[in-house]
Amino acid sequence: MTSYRIRRCLQAVPLLLGISVIVFALLQMTPGGPMAAGEGAQSQASAEQIARLRGRYGLDDPLWMQYLKWLGGILTGDWGASFNTGRPVVEVITERLPTTLLLTGLSFGLSVLLALVVGVTAAVRHRTLFDYVSTGLAFAGLAMPSFWFGLMLLFVFSYSLDWLPSSGLADLRFRHEGFAAFLDRAEHLVLPVAVLSLVSVASLTRYVRSSMLDVLGQDYIRTARGNGLPERTVVLGHGLRNASIPVVTVAVLAIPELFLGAVITETIFGLPGMGRLFVESAELRDYPVLLGILLIASVLVVSANLLADILYGRLDPRISYE
Amino acid sequence: MHRHQHYEQDHRQDHRKGRRRRAGRPLRAVAPGAAVLLAAAGCSSGGSGEAAGGTAVIALIQEPGVLSPMFSSQSGSELTEAFVVEPMFLTRPDGEQEPYLAEEVPTEENGGVSEDGLTVTYTLREGVTWSDGEPLTAEDLAFTVDVAQDPDGAALPDPEYASVESTEVVDEQTLEVTMSDPQPGYLQLFQQILPEHEFDSTAVQADDPQARMPLGTGPFVLADWASGDQITLERNEAYWRDPELPRLDGINVKIVPEAQTALSGFINGDYDTVFFFTAGDLAEIGEAQADGAQAEIATVPDMVGSVEWLWLNHSDGGDPDTPHPVLGDPAVREAIDRGIDREAIIDDVLKGYGTLSGSLVYSGIGASELEPPGHDPDAARRVLEEAGWELGSDGVREKGGERASLRFQTISGDQTRALYQQIIQQDMKDIGIELNIENVPSNRLFDSRDEGGLLASGDFDIAMSRDGLFPDPAIWLEVFASRTIPSEENPAGFSYSHWSNEEYDELEQTAATTIDPEERVEAVREADRIFTEERVAIPIYASAAGYAWNPTLTNVETDYWDGIWTPASSAEWALSAE
Repeated sequence: MTSYRIRRCLQAVPLLLGISVIVFALLQMTPGGPMAAGEGAQSQASAEQIARLRGRYGLDDPLWMQYLKWLGGILTGDWGASFNTGRPVVEVITERLPTTLLLTGLSFGLSVLLALVVGVTAAVRHRTLFDYVSTGLAFAGLAMPSFWFGLMLLFVFSYSLDWLPSSGLADLRFRHEGFAAFLDRAEHLVLPVAVLSLVSVASLTRYVRSSMLDVLGQDYIRTARGNGLPERTVVLGHGLRNASIPVVTVAVLAIPELFLGAVITETIFGLPGMGRLFVESAELRDYPVLLGILLIASVLVVSANLLADILYGRLDPRISYE
Repeated sequence: MHRHQHYEQDHRQDHRKGRRRRAGRPLRAVAPGAAVLLAAAGCSSGGSGEAAGGTAVIALIQEPGVLSPMFSSQSGSELTEAFVVEPMFLTRPDGEQEPYLAEEVPTEENGGVSEDGLTVTYTLREGVTWSDGEPLTAEDLAFTVDVAQDPDGAALPDPEYASVESTEVVDEQTLEVTMSDPQPGYLQLFQQILPEHEFDSTAVQADDPQARMPLGTGPFVLADWASGDQITLERNEAYWRDPELPRLDGINVKIVPEAQTALSGFINGDYDTVFFFTAGDLAEIGEAQADGAQAEIATVPDMVGSVEWLWLNHSDGGDPDTPHPVLGDPAVREAIDRGIDREAIIDDVLKGYGTLSGSLVYSGIGASELEPPGHDPDAARRVLEEAGWELGSDGVREKGGERASLRFQTISGDQTRALYQQIIQQDMKDIGIELNIENVPSNRLFDSRDEGGLLASGDFDIAMSRDGLFPDPAIWLEVFASRTIPSEENPAGFSYSHWSNEEYDELEQTAATTIDPEERVEAVREADRIFTEERVAIPIYASAAGYAWNPTLTNVETDYWDGIWTPASSAEWALSAE
């Protein structure tokens, strides 16, 4: 088992290198190079200025050289500077990260909690009204576009009822202190978190429910009941514990999404997160930032997959890799 | 070479910047009857009775990369010119300049401009200080020129700086600037002055903190910038103009990338105003006002917002020697001009927020107020018939095997535009010209020739965009001069028309090099006449300049070229006590 894990970890390295090459190459192939934002008829920059900038950023070097330079920089901690703002990429990313993690972390936590509660209950009360209603709602949530849902929530709770603020993370006019600041922040997060949780709650609930149904039909559950254990212990202690194995692995695989944020939600609610940074950098052809984000995302995806595999092996003693 | 600064004003997806003096008018509209006019009269409600203090909130739709206009190519940095950075000369809605940081406007009469037109003397007002207390001197002016011209720096200066040959600091307040050629745009210099004491060298790099958040002399100071979130402006306690100004304590600029959210937020009262509104927005605000929403909409007389143009490709796919098979025929151009129902567009789509415009130079110096021909589809059809364009069986006219079928392109994503595009398409169908709408992202249209930009490479038939709003026409006229047409030899060139006319070229040169104002205006008007007669491009409508803000914001003056977005106005803003 250990050798399996070590092998997988070692395999991750060439995988990541391969991903970096592909990502780098793909970006180079997109129309409009990095200077597109600064050149063309609209810009004030003259041809000489553009040529100078290209030289400074090493854009005239052959592609493989640019790649190696970039890779070398990454490994030594120099992630380059944004073409758009001139600030270090690391700074740009870490500035946006907390907001994203707050948003996605909260909605992830909320989704998992809700999914567990509703999913387990629906499975236990299989074929009852609760089950049907929750299934119906889950499908509705899956079918609803988050963009539309977000705007609807805004319209109802912010514009019509004026209960909640419409954008940002904090009040723009007054600076609150202490508990008021906490409340203010919470108020601003309600709607975005609701929107973001929508889709993941729906799918996670279905997943939990079907996994529970599977497990509850097993023999050992009947044995546990037969032994006189209280129903709650049977369902939660034996049922959920086993049912949660695949759910945990699914959850782990969702970790990279926590980082990338949610562009649509961030755009509607004006939140400065990673998703928006990614899209804006793509529009502006801000290569260093784009490459930085993509690299982190790739590392996270590979690691998450690795972690999920290992975790699965640990949680389920029936599984063993050779 | 003077680069044409194109600014697609209404399209917020365009990250390009327009220098506010020469372009970049926020699009506004004519106020509905019930709106309050705060404009030319320059009156403000209540005078100094407002509660001092408070923080205004502004929504910004496109966040720039850096906030210093000298180093930015994006329009969002113009926000800095509204609050933090002040210009030497202030432009009024008709294009006239007034001294602001300058003591007086240099002219030939007062000796500020030498007889040969090559030397201009700029004098600073006394007592102007930077927000950190340092005095503003002619050294700063000279430094600004040096930075603009430094080949190793990252500055993206106005084209006028390229004509400066040398500068001489005469005394603390006076700078003599010598140009290599007579430069009629000499008042366009120094819209932003750089503080010499904040820099180590003239080769300023893009990551310089001054490029990101510049120091200025204006009523507000850039205090903080949380990228993607908000920009915080604080009161300049050492503001030189008046100890009472600014009236506000600060301004929070919230970055709201989704235009619809910003507009709804404004109507809802979340924001005091938005940088910036477009014509479609104003129509919506007007309707919301009728439903009871709180908003001030004000119009600026003497001022016209930008014009929406149909750019016609006069070449065949960019080949300068072959005229366009369809649009090369003046009869076709005339027919298109007469065939468009402009009134329908203004009344039905824009809800009245637009006016008719027929001239090339419709704003600023040398402006003519020509009206386009009225909607006359019968005349259009007649013109086409007489020129030999016969109606085919499919309803599309033909001549010599060539079908009158054209691509019609503009920037995608603007719903208002999409509406009147369809009106134009229908109008053309009525006279037998087929238009195929193929909208594209703004990059695709405006990229340079090397990047395959449609306009630059001549790969278009009819394109539509807004342009032409300048206090000084020189840069605008240049776009249609032969020498700017892009080609192998001139890859950096740019043309909306790929049209070439010797007489026009001569007139354009005259206008670009003559200092004498009357001669210039003559040349400009002649060039305009040629352009309009040839129907090089077809104007559709012009928006009247107007602004909208929340009534809690008071003392908002609009009587400037930049409207409310200038320190002359923003220093006076106050929040009413309600």
